[in-house]
Amino acid sequence: MRKVHMALLATALVVGGGAAGGEPELNSPPTAKDWAAIARLPDWSGVWTPYVSDQNRRIKSDPTPWRPEAAKQIATMEAEEKAGRPRGLFIDCLPEGMPAWMLITHNAFEILFTPGRVTLLGEMDGNRIRRIYTDGRGHPPDPDPTFHGHSIGHWEGDTLVVDTVGVLPEAWLAVSEAVGLPNNGDLHVIERIHLQGPERLHDDLEIIAPKVLSAPWKTTRIYFRQRARKYDIVEGVCLQGGMATRQDEFGNWLYVPIPQEDGNPVPPK
Amino acid sequence: MNSTPIRTLCMAVSLWVVAGLAPAVAHHSFAMFDFSKVVTISGTVKEFQWTNPHVILWIDADAGAGEAPAVWSLELTSPGNLTRGGWDRKAVSAGDRVTVDLNPLRNGNHGGALIKVTDETTGKSFSTNLRASEKPGLQ
Repeated sequence: MRKVHMALLATALVVGGGAAGGEPELNSPPTAKDWAAIARLPDWSGVWTPYVSDQNRRIKSDPTPWRPEAAKQIATMEAEEKAGRPRGLFIDCLPEGMPAWMLITHNAFEILFTPGRVTLLGEMDGNRIRRIYTDGRGHPPDPDPTFHGHSIGHWEGDTLVVDTVGVLPEAWLAVSEAVGLPNNGDLHVIERIHLQGPERLHDDLEIIAPKVLSAPWKTTRIYFRQRARKYDIVEGVCLQGGMATRQDEFGNWLYVPIPQEDGNPVPPK
Repeated sequence: MNSTPIRTLCMAVSLWVVAGLAPAVAHHSFAMFDFSKVVTISGTVKEFQWTNPHVILWIDADAGAGEAPAVWSLELTSPGNLTRGGWDRKAVSAGDRVTVDLNPLRNGNHGGALIKVTDETTGKSFSTNLRASEKPGLQ
């Protein structure tokens, strides 16, 4: 009986281990050489804060090549924003995702290098994270779509080239917090991230979104390095902002929703 | 910090829902505020909520010219951004007498985007000009 169980288990491992029934793909333990290689990468330490004024300028200087039917929707949204009636793309606190995080964030992030990985950690929408695999792997053939997609990267000199696919169709291609459209599927983002001078990080983006764009959209986003500790990344849980703390009749501290009107908090009673 | 019993609060929330103001959360654009106008109010801090994505300051505003006293909701950027601008979660506290400059809501409700808050007793003020921090190596 035990032998039968072992045989079944072995079969299950083989079937589950690899697409072609071969050896399972493993994340190998890093070697001393892998850690030493990190020391030769450019210094991206510190906290990076976005150049928001430049984000706004580039809306005009690097216009988004919307498809005609998308451009009509965008024109309506821009008129609504100008009239002070923004719908707000992120009002439900779902992650900004890719590429909106890089395009329109007002919040800081940091970048960690570990063997085979570059990781971006940021504030807002539940302590956002991007995992960029630099261990030579490719994209999975059919990744489960996520807000940030599946990212692989490689170094070309001191530039990290990142390729992202597998982003949810619902993730916003955002021009601002109030204007943008869902990418609607088949999104592909190529980024070239590099230092421009000692204290500025540039992300040169090429956004390919065939459902809503008529051509790849090329634009750049700029971040400033901060080293003062008061700039350290803090926790950022977006949903918390819709809650007030109150005590119940037992003295327990609880979150209760703050009533809102068009995203604006109504004064608490 | 207020200690309103939760049942009363829940009842108030349901009344709001009935009134058509559905609870939602807000990581929103600031286009609802009229940045061409500056309004100044004086009053007492009711509550200072230090949360993402937007810090909220509620003020029990004094009666103004032709205006009855009212509670104002003032929104600010995130705790992280404000900390970098010199704020902390105790920058203002419930009961403080303050004067606030704000960009008002376009719809005329008692709310706005906070520009500057000044403690009337100590004279200390905090402002929210994020553009001032658009450079590297800030101290």
